Amino acid sequence: MSFPKKPGGKALDVLQNLPRISLANMRPEPGAGRTSKRRGRGQHGGNRSGRGHKGERQRGNRPRLGFEGGQTPFYLVIPKYGFNEGQSRRPQYQPLSLKRLQYLIDVGRVDTTQPVDLTQLVNGRGVTIQPLKKDYGVQLVDEGADIFAAKINIEVQRASEGAIAAIERNGGVITTTFYDPISLGILIKPVPFFLRGQPIPKRMLPGQDMVPYYTDAENRGYLADPEKIQQARLALAQKYGYILPDLSKDELYHMLSTRKDVRQIFFGLAPGWVVNMSEKKILKPTDEKLLQYYSS
Amino acid sequence: MAASVLCRRTAVLHRHFKHISGSQCAILLQTAKYNPRPLRLNLNEPYVPDKDSTKTPEWQKTAKYDAKLYGRYGSASGLDPARLWPSHGQLDNIITEEKEWQPSLEVMLKNIELKEKEETEKRQAKERLIAANMAKMPKMVADWRREKREAKQKQKDDKARREKLLAVARERFGFAVDPRSPKFLEMVAEIEKEDKKKKKLMKRMLKGEQAAAPVTPPAATS
Repeated sequence: MSFPKKPGGKALDVLQNLPRISLANMRPEPGAGRTSKRRGRGQHGGNRSGRGHKGERQRGNRPRLGFEGGQTPFYLVIPKYGFNEGQSRRPQYQPLSLKRLQYLIDVGRVDTTQPVDLTQLVNGRGVTIQPLKKDYGVQLVDEGADIFAAKINIEVQRASEGAIAAIERNGGVITTTFYDPISLGILIKPVPFFLRGQPIPKRMLPGQDMVPYYTDAENRGYLADPEKIQQARLALAQKYGYILPDLSKDELYHMLSTRKDVRQIFFGLAPGWVVNMSEKKILKPTDEKLLQYYSS
Repeated sequence: MAASVLCRRTAVLHRHFKHISGSQCAILLQTAKYNPRPLRLNLNEPYVPDKDSTKTPEWQKTAKYDAKLYGRYGSASGLDPARLWPSHGQLDNIITEEKEWQPSLEVMLKNIELKEKEETEKRQAKERLIAANMAKMPKMVADWRREKREAKQKQKDDKARREKLLAVARERFGFAVDPRSPKFLEMVAEIEKEDKKKKKLMKRMLKGEQAAAPVTPPAATS
């Protein structure tokens, strides 16, 4: 009668019985560290320590970068042109590659059984958004589209065509939505917002410049016509050469079809509600005027 | 299997899952649950500032601070939750501001349409103008070429005429005359006079022929 061999064996024994790892019982691999160059230790006492001979070089008094000894420097000779005009006011979107998204899903930092939102991405520390630096959200980039294999319901602010194709090829759903800066700040840090004691605000509509982007079915905009989106899905499938999986026969159809309302910031929470963290309660307004305002 | 043994998280789930459905033995990847930072709310010793005392700073008596107190302590802060929402006056202000600064989707779409129409109109007008001008181009090119040819021809004619006059003057005077001298000019004036007389005679003759010619054929035919 032979015992079933314990998987792991001696390695598992070792792991279970050795003392805990600390700085005292660890050392780097041979060849891990590179010794740095030490100045002033050469022949003849190091002499000038690699600084050269006299002058500004040795004495560390060189002028600023770009100075050309008094001649008008290159960066001033070239006249200005409006390439960078309004640069600081342009919306920025933090890129999220499909490779990174796949990594986050594999490692378990992003839960694919629920709709993936910017909040979920930030909670899993997949992206870092800075609304105060004119970040308007996250954009999906198609690096890693060939290795992407996950069925998710994802909501981003911008997406390239390749990324949309990659997600839909695997039977997922992608939507592009707009969050104004205040809503974005609330979305990425919900708990500090709830501690402020303010009612959840309405999400504002995009500005006139962004409305064409979000009403376009090609970009899977949240303001677009659902029928046109279906047509666009078929067209994209034909363009990229894959069979569009039928979502209505999917077992996760209900999860994949959940989408936020145009004025909603959080799933399951409507604008106007106050969430209290200390008592774990949600307060809803009862005044008609308030209700009308928050549901408009 | 080794993976689940080494990682206790998935191991627990694996055993649990096995109990539920032993037939489908799929490796369920457990997600890293969001472990939030502990919220240090100090619920045991809440600080609620005294509204009536003069020692409390002004910013602790504002409505915003009250909302923050409620957010931290809930009902223990002793605040009426109805004050968290804007009052009717404030709500009216908010609504008017929104109406002014945030147009509805339909209005925005209409504006976009108008802009696009204007742009296309401009572009089309420009294109039409270009097309019309391009249609005129062959004629303009031909005209220009003709004018250039004529100017050249005229220049050549003038030069030839001047050469002839010089030659005539040379014959008359016996030496090369400067075209600017008065003698030359007198000679030129004489030649012109003679030419005019000749032309007048020619005209008269032509008129006489014309008068005679139409008279005689009707007389011949009738």
